[in-house]
Amino acid sequence: MIVSLVKPSRNSIIRTLIPMGTALLAFVVTAFLLIYGGFDPLEAYGLLLQGSVGGVREIGETLVRSTSLILTGLAIGFAFRCRLWNIGAEGQLYFGAIGAVVIALTAVGQIPVFGVIIAIIFGAIFGGAWAAIAGLLKSRLGVNEIIVTIMLNFIAILFVDFLVRGGPLQAVGFEPQTELIPLTAQLPMLIEGTRLHAGFLLAIGAAILVYLILFKSKLGFSLRATGVNPKAASYAGIDIKKSILITIIISGAIAGVAGAALVQGVNDRLLPHISPGYGFIAIVIALLGREHPLGIVFVAVFFGALMSGANLMYQTMGIPVAIAGTLQALVLIFALIGEFIARWKFKGVGK
Amino acid sequence: MKGITKKFGDLAACDNVDFDLFRGEIHGLLGENGAGKTTLMNVLYGLYEPTDGQIYVQGKHEIIKSPLQAIDLGIGMVHQHFMLTPPHTVTENILLGLKSKSFLLPFASAEKKIMDLSKKYGLQINPKAQIWQISVGEQQRVEIIKALYRDISILILDEPTSVLSPQEVESLFATLKSMVDQGLSIIFITHKLDEVMQATDRVTVLRAGKVVGKVKTSETSKEELAKMMVGRPLITSFEKDPVKATKNILEIKNVSAKNDRNLVALKDLSFDVKSGEILGIAGVDGNGQPELAEVVMGLRNTTGGKIILDGKDITKLSTRAIRNLGVAYTPEDRMHVGSILEYSVAENLIIDKFSSSPFSDKLFMNQSAIAKNAEKLVSDYGVHTPSIYVPVAQLSGGNLQKVVLARELSSDPKMIIVHNPTNGLDVGAIEYVHQTLIDFRKKGAAILLISTELEEILSISDRVTVLYEGELMGIIPRAEVEIEKLGLMMGGSKLDSIPQESKGEQK
Repeated sequence: MIVSLVKPSRNSIIRTLIPMGTALLAFVVTAFLLIYGGFDPLEAYGLLLQGSVGGVREIGETLVRSTSLILTGLAIGFAFRCRLWNIGAEGQLYFGAIGAVVIALTAVGQIPVFGVIIAIIFGAIFGGAWAAIAGLLKSRLGVNEIIVTIMLNFIAILFVDFLVRGGPLQAVGFEPQTELIPLTAQLPMLIEGTRLHAGFLLAIGAAILVYLILFKSKLGFSLRATGVNPKAASYAGIDIKKSILITIIISGAIAGVAGAALVQGVNDRLLPHISPGYGFIAIVIALLGREHPLGIVFVAVFFGALMSGANLMYQTMGIPVAIAGTLQALVLIFALIGEFIARWKFKGVGK
Repeated sequence: MKGITKKFGDLAACDNVDFDLFRGEIHGLLGENGAGKTTLMNVLYGLYEPTDGQIYVQGKHEIIKSPLQAIDLGIGMVHQHFMLTPPHTVTENILLGLKSKSFLLPFASAEKKIMDLSKKYGLQINPKAQIWQISVGEQQRVEIIKALYRDISILILDEPTSVLSPQEVESLFATLKSMVDQGLSIIFITHKLDEVMQATDRVTVLRAGKVVGKVKTSETSKEELAKMMVGRPLITSFEKDPVKATKNILEIKNVSAKNDRNLVALKDLSFDVKSGEILGIAGVDGNGQPELAEVVMGLRNTTGGKIILDGKDITKLSTRAIRNLGVAYTPEDRMHVGSILEYSVAENLIIDKFSSSPFSDKLFMNQSAIAKNAEKLVSDYGVHTPSIYVPVAQLSGGNLQKVVLARELSSDPKMIIVHNPTNGLDVGAIEYVHQTLIDFRKKGAAILLISTELEEILSISDRVTVLYEGELMGIIPRAEVEIEKLGLMMGGSKLDSIPQESKGEQK
């Protein structure tokens, strides 16, 4: 067999199936790691399945994690689609959480129905505003957005730490956390006996919205044009500075909603390390999901299942949670290899 | 070279080509864009492996697999686009890729050898200058010396004159003559007939990958070569009515601007373009042409002066506002500026007007209106594309240019700026573009034609001027143009400083 590098294969179904197939190899490689660690891989994978989809409670748990992953994945995927390398979803998530908790703890949070919505909107505004710093630096001064967004992550995470550890938001007592937000500001639960909250519907709604903005609206048309070819975009009359700023603000706002959903749906307060790195895993999700909302939702749910399943593996067999992280990384690597294979047609020799 | 065939997929770029070169001759390789000239030479230079055929150097059968091997056999090539690294000096660029026995580079001896070569062939060069500081003509001399430095006996020049002013071309030809006098052989790739007649000893003409003629230059004529090259006589002038309207559409008043490197690109420029006329701006690349167009389009800030469109000051307006006032622009770089390669044909046909009716409402795009517009323009302009939904990256250069033109002209502009609109197109497409511009001129549009192709400027312009180092060298009505005068202007002489003696040699 030789690889013909001339004609890329265009069948999009095959192009999607091959990376998915190779991604399964990640489970094979991880199995060897498990054997090496003295665990039975079949038992471990059984627990992984059971812990993620084994029952209503488990499915709920998977979807709770998926909610955060979908939202941050969309945030990053949206920016990436417009060729803006926002690596700062994690920091924007933290700022969104600040925005939500600040509103929820004031009088506004006590308004029935609207309290929830206003807090989420504030989450979006805070996330967007935090991202706008990188957007302004990029569009006005040409500063590389990758570096700025990465740095802003650390500032945001440590700023939350300051707020709740002796800072103005710390609740009475020794625990580093804010007061509980009032019930009126909490997202309603969707299914009895699970932690699944209405934030999941919010995430699905966000996916549809991102799809419409990116591919159907004239805003998305100009943002994507700016991303793939800024010269041509400005030649065509698009204000590219404005486009860059709008792109990163939308991206940051979606990540901010992820933070608000964590505060209002899961923890009911703000804590340090409220996210176990959703904003970073989101980069992998956005890439694997091909920067498309449908792909991102699909991959995010898969990763959400891995995360909640890994919990059960840890609790029952004592398998380190890091194994799940390794598995996620291997999935990315194998999917990328599959992506490469899928792009080229294989040709038999001697034809 | 015997029976050389090179296929890309099913397409034969060279089809059973025989080519021979004598010692001490300048051999012209003539053909249109895409005739296979460069492909054939890339085979000789070891960049492409031929599908079929043999190469004999000095009577010996050789299989040339890489440029290094070609250089060892004494074959050097100067590409159309120079292969130099701008931040390095002339000497460093010449030494690049050369095997050196010592650990340190032999700068002193290299500089001496460069100066010797420079004197021997009349190639003036400063070995210590950095590439980005020197002109395109000098860069070409560096490329030639780079080849000579490797002790070659055959030099291939790919379209060497496309970036030079007429005076620089003269000095290049003098250099080539002195090189063949010293025993070198030169292959000169071009599509310009005058140059073939002027500089070569023999000519091989390629058309669509096949040899259609091999003649001694002294035994042929321009007309005969043209016929061989295109397969039909050239139409060089168009039927045009004289300019009717005298209303100024575009007025440029004392405009100055800087380029991307923050150097002065336009110096106190003033001219106007009238309704129903084509103003041709000739000049060699790098004299402020793109900057001029960008300033008018609002893509570049002015550092002084005013731009007036139809009586309205547009100096400070945004690109979109200027476009909405009826200005169209097809940039020189249709791949990276004029279109978005990742976007479909249909989308590229509306990238300037997607945000207005009927292509979108308040929020969303109207796909059916976009498709309808695309179907119409694709058939009006004869764009060859598998579908209106494929990315324009899949289109050929000529078809891409048609897409850009179709989009720009579909907004029914009153002011049209075109920059090298026929660059890289075949004869049929060139005629089509010119005819389209003339049709718009008839409708009363003002057209600013910026081009490095003199032939193009002369064939459709009503008035002609030259841009040199950001200044206009004077404006002449087409009927009064003398080619020598234009050449001098392109070399930097102002019209009013040129003595009037040369009159009567009108071309």
